[in-house]
Amino acid sequence: MKIPAFLSAALLVAMLSFSSAWAEPVKCFESRKGASEVTQRTIGENLTNVKCSPKTGAVLWWSDPFDGTVPMGDMPVQDANFNSEKAVVKPRSDKLGLLPLCGNTCHTGVLPKGFPQNKDTRQLVLMHQAIVLDSTKLPHGRGNIWCLDCHHSTQRNKLVDHRDNPISFDQPQRLCGKCHGEVYRDWREGIHGKRIGEWASTGTKRWFVCTECHNPHNVQHGDRNRGFAQHQPEAAPALPKGLKTADHERRKSGAASH
Amino acid sequence: MTMSDDARANMEWAEWFQGNYRLMTDEEKALARARLERRYSREYGKAVSVDGTPAQEGVLMGYALNIKKCIGCRRCAKACVEENNQSRGKDQEIEWIRVLKMEKGEFSQEKMNQGYPEGLGIQVGGNAYSPAGVVLEGEHYYQPEAVPEKDSAYMPIACMQCEKPPCVKVCPVRTTYREADGPVVIDYNWCIGCRMCMSACPYWARRFNWSDPKLPKEAMNPVTHYLGNRPRMKGVVEKCTFCIQRTRKGRYPACVEVCPTGARKFGNLLDPNSEVSRIIARKNVFRLKAELNTFPKFFYFMD
Ligand code: SF4
Ligand code: SF4
Repeated sequence: MKIPAFLSAALLVAMLSFSSAWAEPVKCFESRKGASEVTQRTIGENLTNVKCSPKTGAVLWWSDPFDGTVPMGDMPVQDANFNSEKAVVKPRSDKLGLLPLCGNTCHTGVLPKGFPQNKDTRQLVLMHQAIVLDSTKLPHGRGNIWCLDCHHSTQRNKLVDHRDNPISFDQPQRLCGKCHGEVYRDWREGIHGKRIGEWASTGTKRWFVCTECHNPHNVQHGDRNRGFAQHQPEAAPALPKGLKTADHERRKSGAASH
Repeated sequence: MTMSDDARANMEWAEWFQGNYRLMTDEEKALARARLERRYSREYGKAVSVDGTPAQEGVLMGYALNIKKCIGCRRCAKACVEENNQSRGKDQEIEWIRVLKMEKGEFSQEKMNQGYPEGLGIQVGGNAYSPAGVVLEGEHYYQPEAVPEKDSAYMPIACMQCEKPPCVKVCPVRTTYREADGPVVIDYNWCIGCRMCMSACPYWARRFNWSDPKLPKEAMNPVTHYLGNRPRMKGVVEKCTFCIQRTRKGRYPACVEVCPTGARKFGNLLDPNSEVSRIIARKNVFRLKAELNTFPKFFYFMD
């Protein structure tokens, strides 16, 4: 059957608009790639919950800082200088796709025969090499710690504190603070780490937890010289009018090259 | 002109002849803002609000930036553009925040005696061929695949909201002034574009609109403040106001919220429990060009 030209054009337009209406929702990452993500959606006239960078895919702007957050709950430290009702976090466990499986399918606490029955460091032969290539030389802690120093030995969908009590993946600060006490103190007081929301010291804030910014498994990675994985930077500012390159600000002398 | 039928012309006439915002009565201020709301709403095709929330009692806004944490990703600079309705585009892109990259220099034994003339070394200018310490010549336009780069340090700079702002001192029409809660603001309607403030500012914090700002309708942020991010016109100077439209309503500035490393902190300098006050009390803090006695309310700190 031959479709008249004007009809097929109309059909094409209809199909195009149909496909754009069903376009994939835009997802952008919050602090670092691979950690918390947020799906862009409209929340008002010409207003989206977040704006994302077209270049890097990072969130560039929050219009609702408390979207998807829950109360952080009590901190495990006496007289921590914060108002627990006003502190909210975004739960992460439900974002970690495999987490519900970890403790139920493989790490059930029942070890098959022939498996080491202690918590000593050993090489992982089959699994998890995507996370840690060599578990005996974990970059975090420069080889001095391994999986079970942070992950609960029998409940694998939990982290672990010094007394073998399970810690939720939503509260990694309770684990990280075991070693990084000074950073933990600064984090509680708002000196370290990221918070969004209201700036007054009594205001409601969304606290970012450790693993939203830091990847605990690859703390020494690439050319970075800070505690963060490397990021793609946003575009450079526009050059002054009339200039074609930025060579004018390159150092003429000097050992370091570009 | 006032008799014109054209509503827009009427509005513009009123804008041209309005007084200095600081000297207007509250009613006059409200009228001026309502006028702008109508005009912007029409121009940008959405409901635009122009807020006039005044300074709160007992607040002095201050900022702190952990210079060891900054990775040079420039998200702060772009977030600022989104929030504050700066002009975009190839010809006239305005960014209030600049992130400078500085490289690590070196001290080396072999080069100790390099210099001119050969052999006399330090006495005649020393190690002239390679920079020592941290290189203080910043680069704005670095564009590597990934940041932070090896052996680089980053220094974001914007308005320091000086307590004694030279930009305010030199303004011949008194259109720029320090608000009671700290930020130095500009009444764009009174700016005559003489750019005296730009030459007086020791931090290169002010930008000039050489042409009509390019602000795409869909990207325009409709939540504005008269002294903050409302759309500017050609021929006026603009600058960071600590996101006055947000901070006067309790929200963090946009750059604080977007920084992936949490390097940026904001709070009330008069509140000992605020993030900035704690940083000043506990960390190593410095201010840029402190010797100029501008007394910035922007503090750089280190862990
Ligand atoms: S940094 Fe510059 S623009 Fe900002 S208050 Fe100081 S002198 Fe004025
Ligand atoms: S967003 Fe934060 S880390 Fe990135 S350049 Fe700005 S201050 Fe530095």
